[in-house]
Amino acid sequence: MLEKFFNFILFRFSKLSRAAKKILADIESELTEEFVELLLNTMSLYFRINKEFRKNIKGFEGRYLFRSRNGNITLSAVFYKGKMKVSEEETEDPHVTVIFKNAQSLWNYILSPKPDILGSLLKQEVVPDGNLNYLYKFAYMANHLRLKLPDLV
Amino acid sequence: MGTVTFEDISLNQFDLETLPLLKKLRSQLLNTKPEVCIERARHVTEYLQSTEGSGESMEIRYARAVNYFLSKKEALFFDENLLAGTTTCKAFGAPVYPEWTGLTIWPELDTISARDKNPLRLSPQDAEELNLGIYPYWLDNSILEYARKKYNNPECMQLMQKIVFFIGSKAGCISHTVPNFKVALEKGLACLIDQAAVKEAELGRSESASAEDEQKRRFYQAVQIALQGIIAYARNLSRKAAELAATEQDPGRKANFEKMAQICSQVPENPARSFREAVNALWIIQVALHAENINMAMSPGRLDQVLYKYYRDDINRGKLTVKEAMELIGCLWLKLNDNTNLVPETAEELFGGAGTAPAVTVGGVDEKGEDAVNDLTYMMLRVTELLQTRDPSLNARYHYEVNPETYRNRVAGVIASTQCVPAVHNDVVDIRVLENQGTKLEHASDYAVIGCVELGVPGRSYDAPSSIMLNLVSVLELALYNGKRPITGDEEISPPTGEPSMFESFEQFWEAFKNQLKYVMGQAIEFNELLGKAYQEKLPSPLLSAFFEGPMEKGKDLIRGGALYNSSGATNIGFADTVDSLNAIEQAVFIDKKCSFPQLLQALKDDFKGHDPLHQYLKNKTPKYGTDHPVARKNAQNLIKFIFDFYQEHENYRGGTYRPGYWTMTNHAGQGKLTGALPNGRKAHEVFASGITPVSQATENLGACLRNVGSLEARFIPSGQALNLKFPTLTGEADIKRLGEAIEAYFKYGGLHVQFNIMSYEMLKEAKDNPEKYPELLVRVSGYSAYFNDLNEAMKEEIISRSAYDIRTGQAIPLPESTD
Repeated sequence: MLEKFFNFILFRFSKLSRAAKKILADIESELTEEFVELLLNTMSLYFRINKEFRKNIKGFEGRYLFRSRNGNITLSAVFYKGKMKVSEEETEDPHVTVIFKNAQSLWNYILSPKPDILGSLLKQEVVPDGNLNYLYKFAYMANHLRLKLPDLV
Repeated sequence: MGTVTFEDISLNQFDLETLPLLKKLRSQLLNTKPEVCIERARHVTEYLQSTEGSGESMEIRYARAVNYFLSKKEALFFDENLLAGTTTCKAFGAPVYPEWTGLTIWPELDTISARDKNPLRLSPQDAEELNLGIYPYWLDNSILEYARKKYNNPECMQLMQKIVFFIGSKAGCISHTVPNFKVALEKGLACLIDQAAVKEAELGRSESASAEDEQKRRFYQAVQIALQGIIAYARNLSRKAAELAATEQDPGRKANFEKMAQICSQVPENPARSFREAVNALWIIQVALHAENINMAMSPGRLDQVLYKYYRDDINRGKLTVKEAMELIGCLWLKLNDNTNLVPETAEELFGGAGTAPAVTVGGVDEKGEDAVNDLTYMMLRVTELLQTRDPSLNARYHYEVNPETYRNRVAGVIASTQCVPAVHNDVVDIRVLENQGTKLEHASDYAVIGCVELGVPGRSYDAPSSIMLNLVSVLELALYNGKRPITGDEEISPPTGEPSMFESFEQFWEAFKNQLKYVMGQAIEFNELLGKAYQEKLPSPLLSAFFEGPMEKGKDLIRGGALYNSSGATNIGFADTVDSLNAIEQAVFIDKKCSFPQLLQALKDDFKGHDPLHQYLKNKTPKYGTDHPVARKNAQNLIKFIFDFYQEHENYRGGTYRPGYWTMTNHAGQGKLTGALPNGRKAHEVFASGITPVSQATENLGACLRNVGSLEARFIPSGQALNLKFPTLTGEADIKRLGEAIEAYFKYGGLHVQFNIMSYEMLKEAKDNPEKYPELLVRVSGYSAYFNDLNEAMKEEIISRSAYDIRTGQAIPLPESTD
């Protein structure tokens, strides 16, 4: 039983480490369409194993819909009861929908070392629809994860 | 009427060597890094969270939250300033206002201390408290999100959120006003509290009280609660100052603490009895106003008038010297710099480098129309000249029929020595403009400047002058592209108004443009109305209301229309580029027939690449605003009239009108950088002209510029305008006099306002390339001053490229070949 538990934890850390490596590699090269899903899944995983990080979503209910302009990417992130669930199905009644030109523009918007929310809005590369405060919170969590990525590899 | 007793109005005997305290405090200020302050956010959030669901009205809850914060606000003394009170808990603080824009820095909590542009120190502990303790409460409660939910994300809000059409500033603030400090200094807050209590008692207590009476009752209660918070804060300051005095070894500092302890035990609870008490009372009230409203353009007003009798009485009694008065004014000026705005890094694109713009107004005429210039006017000019800090934004009123020429020339002298301040306002026209809006003459004569350049009546008008910031160039593009804009791609933004290629006359295009303008203005008005109503429910201002004539009499908060005069301001960005583009279309397509509309649109799409002859023609041969060309004059006049007529047809949620203005902060740079090529020959991503200023290099001589800007019908510009001019140098008294004469000439043409940068292209270029050589360079942006090094690159370029004129010949100086 204990062995199964430790293997489970190891598996998760290992999975997280691989995800972190992939994200860092993507950042260095060209961001692909898969980047968004990778990021959200990594975030979800990190919430599961890091108690400190999980404080950000304690008691938090938030529904996010990310959609690329060409329709190729549709992803939902739902925060509920201390967990983050990522899905390719559209969540109902999202607090905020983020329509983005491509993965790079989403990166610029919320994740780069200099998150450029206003700049991306001004250039219309990312168009949010809904409660911007939820977006700011998400951007904080995503950036916090980004800063931790090198430690996870 | 003002009295001037100084033989030498320049007060040159005073400088920073003879005022060592100011020299020391100034140096400390300039070397203090800004920090995020969460104190207010903490206490206000704590209180509102603890009373959620209490059933108490928002007026009372919010007043109690303000009282709660002020009662707990730390009494801090960071330096040897003679005045007690600090806006924040930091020596130079950026307070978080989660009701408004406080959450916009959430993404940056881990990085804001080290960001490239204007970093703000934030401790990890405070960052965590914001992230986990404060921000979550406001996720659905900030004013914008409250309104979005209430009104189901209306179209106007979606359009506003694109930012490139208009900005509805209520999402970020109202503030922007000039309270009546006089009544507080003369009567004391205890008296105002008693007045509110009497009014409340007069309503009686009846079970069948009307809803209106209940509203009034809540208002009077809220006023009392909020004002009591200020008194609590002052008492804390007094106690703390006394404690510090008891342990202070240095005799000078000890005496100062003892004095401040005495002062704060007296004011602002009770009437001020001396100049120092009056100045400190005013400062404490200014601090307290920011407990309730965001620190943006909460303007102290006509301080040379408000404080004059205290100064005069103390001087006459031998209780005050001119030097001591200068020190106190300087201390107040430095205190006004003790806070800055909390903005996300990228907001610098649109609002770069701005301080909090607390405008101080001096000079002009009094309520009777008599010369109001007095000793304090000159002292405030001299202190501004010596300190050269970003704030306060000093504005000099000048009445060319009443104020002496010596005053005018002294103002010009201060502009020359500081290279940028003060701005100058035309009493003759400004008073008439306000009268035209229904303001009584004696009130209009008492006008003061709000924030950038806007006109208000202290303690009587609630103007919200930054309610709408509308991008006129976006409207032009909507007309050119039949309801779309290149930056928003294929999205249909507005109803189609016809393909320009089908238009057979300029008048048809002008109709299309007007229809697009009506649509965007209509959306902006609707947004403002919805937000205004949201404010009425969520963010009343009982504390601010106590300092206005009207609310106490009517029992109505300012936000509900309590002020004597109500309006909402709507400023316009890209005026000159829009007018020049209209001119170009009329001349090129319909008069000279140099090109067809499709050819013109193709050239714009290509950013003039491959269209050089057409580009040169559009840039150099089509009529330009700011010149005497009849097409340019006609289009400029038609545009401001159309905008004025449309806005004035609309009543705002407080029963007032909408008033257009023409000032831009740095929006003209940010929006310009996002916009493609325009028919006036402007290439893609070049900045727009600022305020109401003609496009750079458009006018060949100063006379034509002043004549044509000045002759725009002033009554169509009731919210104020910013004309930004540049002279590379002013040498000697003769040049200073010329500057004064140029100001007067412009005012006689009918211009409302003018401000200057006395800097050459080369000097500014050097400052941009070598910022370390110009650490304290202050420039006039478009209604406020900013440190050049705090501006973003686009804004620096814009200031560099602004037309410069030779003060002696009036000729425009060509822009050097390369300013890149």
